[in-house]
Amino acid sequence: MVQLRPRASRTPASASAMVDEGQPTSEEEAEHGLLLGQPSSGAAAEPLEEDEEGDDDFDDEAPEELTFASAQAEAREEERRVRETVRRDKTLLKEKRKRREELFIEQKKRKLLPDTILEKLTTASQANNIKKSPGKLKEVNLPKKNEDCDKGSDSKKAKEKVQKGQSIGQNKSYVALRLRDQDLRDSRQQAAKAFIQNSLYGPGTNRTTVNKFLSLYNKRLPVKKAAAQFLNNGWGIQKKQNAKRFKRRWMVRKMKTSKK
Amino acid sequence: MGEFKVHRVRFFNYVPSGIRCVAYNNQSNRLAVSRTDGTVEIYNLSANYFQEKFFPGHESRATEALCWAQGQRLFSAGLNGEIIEYDLQALNIKYAMDAFGGPIWSMAASPSGSQLLVGCEDGSVKLFQIIPDKIQFERNFDRQKSRILSLSWHPSGTHIAAGSIDYISVFDVKSGSATHKMLVDRQYMGVSKRKCIIWGVAFLSDGTVISVDSAGKVQFWDSATGTLVKNHLIANADVQSIAVSDQEDSFVVGTAEGTVFHFQLVSVTSNSSEKQWVRTKPFQHHTHDVRTVAHSPTALISGGTDTHLVIRPLMEKVEVKNYDAALRKITFPHRRLISCSKKRQLLLFQFSHHLDLWRLGSTVATGKHGDTLPLSKDADHLLHLKTKGPENIICSCISPCGSWIAYSTASRFFLYRLNYEHDNISLQRVSKMPAFLRSALQILFSEDSTKLFVASNQGSLHIIQLLEGNFKHLHTFQPQSGTVESMCLLAVSPDGNWLAASGTSAGVHVYSVKRLKLHCTVPAYNFPVTALAIAPSTNNLVIAHSDQQIFEFSIPDKQYTEWSRTIQKQGFHHLWLQRDTPITHISFHPKRPMHILVHDAYMFCIIDKSLPLPNDKTLLYNPLPPTNESDVIRRRTAHAFKISKIYKPLLFMDLLDERTLVAVERPLGDIIAQLPPPIKKKKFGT
Repeated sequence: MVQLRPRASRTPASASAMVDEGQPTSEEEAEHGLLLGQPSSGAAAEPLEEDEEGDDDFDDEAPEELTFASAQAEAREEERRVRETVRRDKTLLKEKRKRREELFIEQKKRKLLPDTILEKLTTASQANNIKKSPGKLKEVNLPKKNEDCDKGSDSKKAKEKVQKGQSIGQNKSYVALRLRDQDLRDSRQQAAKAFIQNSLYGPGTNRTTVNKFLSLYNKRLPVKKAAAQFLNNGWGIQKKQNAKRFKRRWMVRKMKTSKK
Repeated sequence: MGEFKVHRVRFFNYVPSGIRCVAYNNQSNRLAVSRTDGTVEIYNLSANYFQEKFFPGHESRATEALCWAQGQRLFSAGLNGEIIEYDLQALNIKYAMDAFGGPIWSMAASPSGSQLLVGCEDGSVKLFQIIPDKIQFERNFDRQKSRILSLSWHPSGTHIAAGSIDYISVFDVKSGSATHKMLVDRQYMGVSKRKCIIWGVAFLSDGTVISVDSAGKVQFWDSATGTLVKNHLIANADVQSIAVSDQEDSFVVGTAEGTVFHFQLVSVTSNSSEKQWVRTKPFQHHTHDVRTVAHSPTALISGGTDTHLVIRPLMEKVEVKNYDAALRKITFPHRRLISCSKKRQLLLFQFSHHLDLWRLGSTVATGKHGDTLPLSKDADHLLHLKTKGPENIICSCISPCGSWIAYSTASRFFLYRLNYEHDNISLQRVSKMPAFLRSALQILFSEDSTKLFVASNQGSLHIIQLLEGNFKHLHTFQPQSGTVESMCLLAVSPDGNWLAASGTSAGVHVYSVKRLKLHCTVPAYNFPVTALAIAPSTNNLVIAHSDQQIFEFSIPDKQYTEWSRTIQKQGFHHLWLQRDTPITHISFHPKRPMHILVHDAYMFCIIDKSLPLPNDKTLLYNPLPPTNESDVIRRRTAHAFKISKIYKPLLFMDLLDERTLVAVERPLGDIIAQLPPPIKKKKFGT
């Protein structure tokens, strides 16, 4: 029993033991002293017994005969393999990064307009700013100023609007505008549309289908007519999907074989 | 009357877009209607409910609010966050101004008409000052948490009510701060819904706020104390719109079930002064959601997803019980969407974003009167031409020879050349259109397809000579100085010498194409022109007006013809004058110069000028001539108006040759089948 003591303290099993480290030793000693005093039963003794049982299990599994040399060889082999995979991963990652960087550079080049146009744009916009600043800019600025008190982002948008309003270049057949503003506006518009769609036709709105509505109307007519829409698109959905998947797979397979 | 072989065309699958807003203008008795595709239409209620003007739609411009301000100025706002003012003279957009608050859900003009209020997606209410030719941002009200879906001014202009999700706020206009916030119960028949959307509010002068919401309630609130006064549960579905009369003694609400309820302020007992709001009349004229309602002094106006505009006169407000007191249901546009190439038997259908070209079928079978002949060759769908860009098509035309197609959007004009080789056709765009041809209100080809007439929205008329795959600008008729009114209707004489053009209100101008100058002007008439045509050989200009009057004007003599004078003296038959859809097309029989063919949406009529005119005692709508009667009786009962009502709703009818007619119908059932799903209603016994 005394041998167990250091083991119990070594396993950081209970958090409480870790937390109040101030008083521990004496108390533990006292406890163990107590345990030593009455080793047979009681609540305090139980964890110790469990530990003992755990130890026993471990002992059961443990015996497996291995010579030192073979174990060492195995370990070395393992180590070598690990090292190798790490190295391979590193080189792969490097290569990937390199490739992506190249791609980025190329994309950037592709995105940029030819130098001549860029130059023209900058000069034209500067000229416009100078020319239009007394008239047009002031006009658009008015709402902007008022907006300032409302919201920082709004004023920013107003500035962007000013930029947007100016048609750049002598050619009037196009207007240059920032795509980011358009995206923001589109996304807000989409959200608004989704809201109205959801609140009118979404779940819980008790909508029927046009076909059902018309059939109800038809039922009450003195002269019965055929249904307005014969086709039910809901039929055989699973089968259609399966067929679609099969077709895709078949095409992929076909393409592979033809490549070979 | 003559017998015809009729092509009965039903493959024009046109679906009008749903109505989103209506706004009634009391001063001019006009109604502005906006549709879900962004189109705005102006109806003149005093000119027999004629659709006078329209502004083409735009994909990104989903209109959510529409209002009149300062008398005649029309504003709209929509989900793209812009406030738009329309130019009602030149028929284009004056300017669009970003409100910087995200999508706009609601808009209201102040009672004085000098200020404009918009409610935005981000919860802000913005006040704009209406100045001449512009609007100017003034200030923001206290920002709310969620989108402002409805707005209403107090008649004195000191307070406003704003409906949002789950609550209504009352603002003080001077300080811009919210004085009350009234929470709306989410409960719906005992079931708690996720949210309660306030679709509409109305502020009465006694301080009562009426709200309609998605839980099916109409609620009355006291704005001074912010408390609920009365609650009417009227529908199982959303109540989507509200409009109050100017006298504040009645209001109207529209529900998603398609029902319109009329509420009136009536005395509690027969002679007490205490009055209360009572739901008086339900009307079920719609099958789908009623998205918007308006209250004119004499009628309830409603419109919704089912694309009908319904005008229901209130019987107690109508003094004379005449035909004006009848219900009006306007479904189809009052302009032509179809043009026809007689030579090649082609029909060009105009949709909002594409054009369809069909070749008519043919038959070799013969039959007796009234038979349906089997087709030996089916109708062919030759071409589907999509527009580029988000703008809707304003007008389109195919040349009589079938080798040119022209159409116009609000900013671009397109001309295509069609080549036919045996069975396949090829399309070639004529590029480099001149800069002045940017947008057209009406396009017309001359009878021999060598000239193109374009009415632009600046009021000028362009004549363009078409050569093989090319064009040449010949002349431009400038509008008379001082007028900016644009021309909406054109007609050219079959010999190509005369061109007639009419605007929305001023008279019809006749130009000589040979001498390239104005020939004469037909005296102006009170009602707008709905259709124009010039007869072959005689060069008589036939004009139909929205009050169903028909005039015949001789262009060479510069005066009305004898027949026209006679019919004006005697007057039209009273049933003829009571027709409620305008005449949209006039054509002539090539071999019978005495015949004029006209049609509206519900009838087709051949006017035989050689026969006596009907008086009010004769039967106007004569049934098919009975065969067993003697010739004498038939001749005695015959009159000039031969009317057929077999084809309806009739969108287009024209003579292909002497013995063949083409009629394009659009049955209402087919339109309903393509609309969004309606609300489920329990019907007993089904």
